[in-house]
Amino acid sequence: MSLADSLMAGLSVVASFEAFFALFAGICIGVVGGAIPGLSATMAVALTLPFTFTLQPITGILLLLGVYKGGIFGGSIPAILIKTPGTPASSATILDGHPMAEKGEAGRALGMALWASCTADVVSNLALILFAGWLASFALSFGPPEFFALILFSLTIIAGVSGESLLRGALSAILGLLLATIGLDLVYGTNRFTFGDPNMMGGLNFIAVLIGLFAIPEIIAMAWNPTAHLGKARSLGHTKVSFADYRRSFRSIIRGSLIGVFLGSIPGIGAAPSAFLSYSEARRKSPNRENFGKGEIEGVAASEAGNNGVAGATLIPLLALGVPGDVITAIIIGAFMIHGLQPGPMMFILNVDIIYGLFIGLIVSSVFLFIVGSVAIKGFRFVSDVPKRILMPAVLVLCIYGVFAVNNNIFDVGVMFAMGWVGYLMMRMHIPAAPFLIAFILGPLLEDNFRQSMLMSGSDPSILLRGPITWFFWAVTIITIVAIARNIRKIPRA
Amino acid sequence: MSPKAIQFRLGLGACCVALLLALVGIPGWVSSPSNVSNIVLSPTFWPYTLALMTGFVGIGLLLASRHESPDPDPTHIEGTDPKAWLRLAALAVIMMLTMFALPRLGMVWTAMIVFAVTAFLFRTRHPITALVCAVLVPLALYAFFAHVAGVAIPQGNFVRLP
Repeated sequence: MSLADSLMAGLSVVASFEAFFALFAGICIGVVGGAIPGLSATMAVALTLPFTFTLQPITGILLLLGVYKGGIFGGSIPAILIKTPGTPASSATILDGHPMAEKGEAGRALGMALWASCTADVVSNLALILFAGWLASFALSFGPPEFFALILFSLTIIAGVSGESLLRGALSAILGLLLATIGLDLVYGTNRFTFGDPNMMGGLNFIAVLIGLFAIPEIIAMAWNPTAHLGKARSLGHTKVSFADYRRSFRSIIRGSLIGVFLGSIPGIGAAPSAFLSYSEARRKSPNRENFGKGEIEGVAASEAGNNGVAGATLIPLLALGVPGDVITAIIIGAFMIHGLQPGPMMFILNVDIIYGLFIGLIVSSVFLFIVGSVAIKGFRFVSDVPKRILMPAVLVLCIYGVFAVNNNIFDVGVMFAMGWVGYLMMRMHIPAAPFLIAFILGPLLEDNFRQSMLMSGSDPSILLRGPITWFFWAVTIITIVAIARNIRKIPRA
Repeated sequence: MSPKAIQFRLGLGACCVALLLALVGIPGWVSSPSNVSNIVLSPTFWPYTLALMTGFVGIGLLLASRHESPDPDPTHIEGTDPKAWLRLAALAVIMMLTMFALPRLGMVWTAMIVFAVTAFLFRTRHPITALVCAVLVPLALYAFFAHVAGVAIPQGNFVRLP
């Protein structure tokens, strides 16, 4: 079947009001779901799944993909306005988005988040269509040593988000790695820092740690000084993103999109590390690197491009190999199976109409995302106008509900409160929170892949250098560390 | 507090944490089977590595503190206002009581009380709005999470919602 035939076959299944309405509705649900801290895009997709059972396969899957894409963008709205990421993927957006909101440029930050998200979405969808088979086969050749080398490289991101002191960033990262060791040991199943509590055996809930670290310290800081915000601009502001802003950030958006595509095509990495890596690269390359972390619009663009670049690319291993790239695609694979479809190489032969129908739907989703996102920014304007001393108790209550809803566990609420005090202490001691979070995400992956590699090789460390992929990641890690060391040596001289 | 003092305290704290982990935390709270074939596969290997790294970073912070400015940092939050400390303590108590009340009173009633108490702790200039929001926000969240998302929100032992 030629490409034109495949496209026509796809068009025949997708060209219906129901399919496009489902996609549009999905994006609306996703944006709202992503914008509610604690609900997250994952939960929004999971909640929508039962509604797809009675729909046509293509309609149901487009509904879920709409929720996914809308959710990833929606997470940036509370991240910018109230410093609480709606989804873990939006964590990096806080770094510059919230300082912009504090300066009265929330509208500009949200506008750039939308433009960067839509651009990255288009790039990611095109990558999915053009490179699905090739990239998936590349990702399939990743084993534990390759993952270990990749994650080790990803940890060098910490240097980019450490702020004024690399040592404090390193301390923050080590604390994150230490916290990630809580739970049952992967190989032997023995207890590590669980103190005999069954709630601790699965490790600490990521959402509870995330919200505790970023949202609760703001509430505690308000208790310390309830009038600190007075006189500070926090409204959406009259500034809007301009084409000049977009053009200035374009390189970072494209770079972030490509980082998202690459990391998204590798199962298990996810959108949050991609956003941080994109942010770090943008900071490293930008002439305005001093402004990063203080409200630089290019930082918002890079973060959003990084996390939205993942959205289409995670479907590459899903569609080409039947391997879910992250939790959300794992839920979406369930929708395929419910409708009697088995994602994988055979689907490109047996259900080519569905595959190309999805491709067409995904391209249209970028346009829908732009429309829905523009309306959502205006709709969420009221959040900026709410008095902060009413907003903060509301955020606290929302955090309690949101964190509880993840696992239906009150223990997670306690973890969130505890992490809130840790985050507040870190804030007062000028320790950056971002390295903590990155290390907390990557720590278990790093350790598990290291130990799996050792188990595979009978504890022979040479397995960590077993092929070109590992050589590549070790080389870029060393180059990055050398570059960081050179920068540190230059600063005292300057 | 000066950057020098902050850096010094952090360094000292990191070294203490490293020692505590190595001498008390890991031996006491990390279980390892006796038949581990290789040290790198032991459940204690990673925590010990991290404790060592914490120690190194602590020493680095102590050494770096010598080059930091001894002048006070104007952006640093100083703890001089006793009422501020009282409010922090009150918020900590609110959080502890929340954990106690959630399974007993239920999430909705606890959230209403938490909303109202924190709004007054923050000295809100809109007390009526705060009270109205304290009732409406938890109810709206309950309606969404319980009836739309299907989450089993704790109802407590006294008044149960539909």
